[in-house]
Parts: sequence; structure tokens; C-alpha cells
Amino acid sequence: MLLAQVLLNGLLLGGLYALMALGLALVWGVLNIVNLSHGAFIMLGAYATYFLFTQAHLDPFLALPFAALALFVLGYAVQRGILNLVIRGPMFNTLLITFGLEVVITFLAQLFFSADFRTINPVYAGTNFDLGGLTVPQVQLMAFAIAIGLTLGLWAFLLHSRPGRSIRAVSQNLLAAQLYGIEPRRIYAVTFGLGTALAGVAGGLYGTVSQINPYIGTALTAKSFVIAIIGGLDNPLGVIVGGLFLGVAESLTALYIGPTYTDVASFGILVLVLIVKPTGLLGRTA
Amino acid sequence: MTSRTRRILLTLVLGLPLLAAVPWIASPVLVQFGINMLIMATLAQGWNIIGGYTGYSSFGNSVFFGLGAYGVGIAMAQFEQPFWIGLGLGLLLAVVFALAIGLPVLRLKGHYFAIATLGLAEVVTAIVSNVPIAGQNVGLVLPLLKSDVLFYELSLGLLLVATLVVFWLSRSRFGLALIAIRESEEAAAVMGVNATRYKILAFMLSAALTSLAGGVYAYYITFIDPAGAFDISLNVKMIIMAVFGGPGTVLGPVAGALLLSVLSEVLASKVTNIAGLFFGLVIIAAVVLMPRGLADLTQKFRRSGWRYFAQNIRDHRL
Repeated sequence: MLLAQVLLNGLLLGGLYALMALGLALVWGVLNIVNLSHGAFIMLGAYATYFLFTQAHLDPFLALPFAALALFVLGYAVQRGILNLVIRGPMFNTLLITFGLEVVITFLAQLFFSADFRTINPVYAGTNFDLGGLTVPQVQLMAFAIAIGLTLGLWAFLLHSRPGRSIRAVSQNLLAAQLYGIEPRRIYAVTFGLGTALAGVAGGLYGTVSQINPYIGTALTAKSFVIAIIGGLDNPLGVIVGGLFLGVAESLTALYIGPTYTDVASFGILVLVLIVKPTGLLGRTA
Repeated sequence: MTSRTRRILLTLVLGLPLLAAVPWIASPVLVQFGINMLIMATLAQGWNIIGGYTGYSSFGNSVFFGLGAYGVGIAMAQFEQPFWIGLGLGLLLAVVFALAIGLPVLRLKGHYFAIATLGLAEVVTAIVSNVPIAGQNVGLVLPLLKSDVLFYELSLGLLLVATLVVFWLSRSRFGLALIAIRESEEAAAVMGVNATRYKILAFMLSAALTSLAGGVYAYYITFIDPAGAFDISLNVKMIIMAVFGGPGTVLGPVAGALLLSVLSEVLASKVTNIAGLFFGLVIIAAVVLMPRGLADLTQKFRRSGWRYFAQNIRDHRL
């Protein structure tokens, strides 16, 4: 029974992990930018939701679309104004500039939001229900459902909508896409904006299940990396698998080996996956 | 002798005595700052070999730094051996680790290599935190040697060795092979370069220099623990300094490390509350305006002036 409960917790956590990594994987896969500031955008999303909840008294789950919108605008502006300027440079440079962004965002967050720990705590935060002897925390379940829903939504969006097709076209062949009349500067900015909007939602959900402060970004970026690598960058469904896999692996490690070893487990898995199959568990073989 | 060689030698001949004289004229605080700065420059130079010349952006160099530090720590604190034995032990650990890890990991390219080495760094940190001989989470306390002058000159010597190694690299067959690998691994292989062997040798060389810096630093601060010795942000700093100065050049990473160290030190003492912000903005501005680093800037700025910055943006924007 303990094992089943731990597995359930791992799966619920894994859904949220998947959503965290989704934006990173999208931006990485389409724009070839490893966004080291991804975690910082997650953090901003968490604060946006937090302030909508505490100041505007909006239910955190209703606040999510607004947080997503704010983060989309921010992401769009960052890509359009800064990242588009260096995107054709050497690979180090995009890595470096997003690191610089992370430093700036974290600093500003600490300045405006202070370094205090905060949690988004709606009245129903502690509600659980019973499912065949297992305890299901309501908030976690809702976060899980939203995460999976958004991942599937992104998948459908990329596959079937017109802007989604443009994004895929740009990632496959920039020149050919331009010849078909796609304006890459805008599509790149939209893609990055989508990535940060997803980060924003992930942040809002993270704030309802865990504590937030301005410094959570780096660790969340690292986690998102691991998931994106495990799942592969080819399609959002791989990211779900990567997220669930990591959530379960961390929970099992915490149960059987010890909570301090969860990072060893996740990064150990990361290195193994990279060495055995660098395109991800579900990715195409190179 | 080309003009570039002459400039490098001139910088060394003029700069060295000046730098070496610092501990005898400057205040103790400045000497301590100098030690940190020289160690950082050595690390940036070590990263330059694998990251700048070979084009493999390693996030595992902080592991080599940590192994070097722990070599000295274990030898001195646990076995009461002299410093030099510890330095050798750390060097051995780092080079063997680079060899063992290089074989599987150097097959990966681009981002994947960067992230695999990042993952390894996390794993090694966690392992060291659980090894009794390395003091586990508590760390090790080394015997105290109160001589900043000695550490300063030692760090300077180490930076000199690292720079000479890179200088040699820049004009040897070995270095040319690394550059060929960076530019196109397939093309290099076609030209008969054994890419795997050269990459691993470059990784080991980078590991060796980095571990020596780690060893000196451990003895200097007399205390090491896993979180400090294997700090990933140290690796990020190496990269920033090398890239800011100019990766794949002889003096670029040193110049980058010196300039950024001074900059962040001055900012931290003058305007503490915005130092972090400024550092981030400098990185962003540097990547946008001078993506090939200081080395490229000093070469071309004289010819094209301010248009140099506009040209960079035009070259790399979408």
C-alpha cells in the first residue's frame, strides 16, 4: 500500500514536472536555444499567480490564464528584443545570454518580491479524498490534470493549427519556411512566448503544491533539462513520459534509498539516457 | 615571428614582473583578491582548451576543480602528507576521471555534451558527500599556512603554466587538430585526425590544469566541503570569463577573467545592491555586442570603430 501511495504521489508530481519541462523542450526543439532562464520564468509565473491570489483575491486556478498571458507578453518581448539579435551566433552565446537573463530576473524578483518563502494557499489546499485506500490530494490532482491537458493541447496545437504548423516549419527548415511567407522573427517570438507562458502556468501550479522564493529558478531549470532529455525534443508526448518517469523515479529513490539521493537518481538517469540514447527515450534514433 | 606571437610574448614579458611584484607593494586585501582572480583566470584558461579550442562546452570542469581540491584535502588532512603529494593525487584523480568519463561522454555533441557533464557534476558531488575518507558532508579542514605571498606566486605560476600550455597548443599540430574538430568533426576525421583520441587528450589536459588550481585553492582556503568544491556556478563563471575574453585565443580568457573579476569586485564594494544586476546586464550586452569576446574586439575595433558592434548584431540577428 505504501508503494502504491508513493507511486501515485510520484505520478502526480511527474505531471507537474512535465509541464515545467514542456516550455523548455519547445524552445529548445524549435529555436535551438537551451533557455537557462526557464526556471526564472517559472518563478515569475509563481509570483504572478501568488499576487493575483493575495491581492486580487482570485482563485489560483483562475489566475493561471492571466499569469500565462503576462508571461507570454514578457517572453515575446525578450525574444523579439534580445534573443533574436544573437540567435545566429555560436551556441555558447545563446546559453550565456539566457544565463545573464536568469541573473537579472532573479535579482529583480528578489528586489521587488523579497527573499521570503511564500505559498499559494487557497482554502481547499489541504483537502484530500480517498480512492480505494489511497489518499489523493485535491490540489495535486488538479495540477496534474491541467499539466496533462496543456501538454496534449500543445501537441494538438503544433500538429493542427496554422501557427503551430508555422512553428514546426521554422524548426524543420528556416529558409524554406521563409519562402512560404512565414515571418521568422514573429514566429520565434511567439514560440518563446509560448514557452514562457507554459512556464508561467507551471509556476502557478508549483506555487500551490510547494514553497516559492526568488531562487527556485536554477533548480527547476536543471530538472526541466533532465525531463526534456529523457523525453526527447521531438514531441510534447515524450515530455509527459519524461516528467512522469522522473516523478516516479524520485519518489521511489526517496522511499528506498533516501530523500537526499533524489538528485543523484535523476542526474544519474540523465547521464545514462544521454550515453545510451542521446535523442531521448522516445526520440527518433539518430 | 608573427605580430600576434610577438604581442603575446610582449604581454608575458612585460606583464609578469608587474604581476609578480604585486604582493610586495599592495595591501593584503588586494593580494587576496589577486589570488582569487589568478585562480579564476587559470580555470578559464583550463576551460578554454576543451571549450574554446575543441568546441565542447564542458560543465564538468568544476568536477576537476573539486577532485584537485579533494586530492590535496585527503592527502593533507587524512594522511598528513605534504602539499605536493596532494597536488599530485588530485591531478591523478582528475586526469583518470577525465579519461574514464571522456570515452562515453565526448561522443555527445553540442548541448547534449554540456548537459551530460552537468549531470556528472551533480552525481560526483553526491558521491563525494557520502565517502568517509572525503569527510562526507562535513568536509575537511586542512593545515593552515599563513602566507598569502606564497599562494599568490603559486597561483601566478600556475596561470603562467596554463597560458604557456595554451600558447603551445595554438601553434602545435595537436592544437590544430582540436580546432579542426571544433570547426567540423567529420571533416577533421576525413583529413585523418583521430577525433576521439584528440578530444580525450584535450579533456585530460583541461582536467589537469583545472585540478591543480583546485588543489592550490583548497590549501589556500584551508577548508573544503562538497558544496563548495564542486560548485556548478564556478563552472559557469569559467565559461563566462573565457567567452567574454574570447574562447579559442591564448590571452582572451585571461583578459576576460581579470576584467570581470575587477569589475565585479569594484561593483560589490561600491554599489553592493546592484552588483548582481549589473553582472547579468554585462553578460547580456557582451553577448549581443561582442559575441567573439575581447580578443576579437581589440583586433577589429581599431579598424571599424563603433560600427563593429552594429556589424555583430547584423551578423547574428534573425
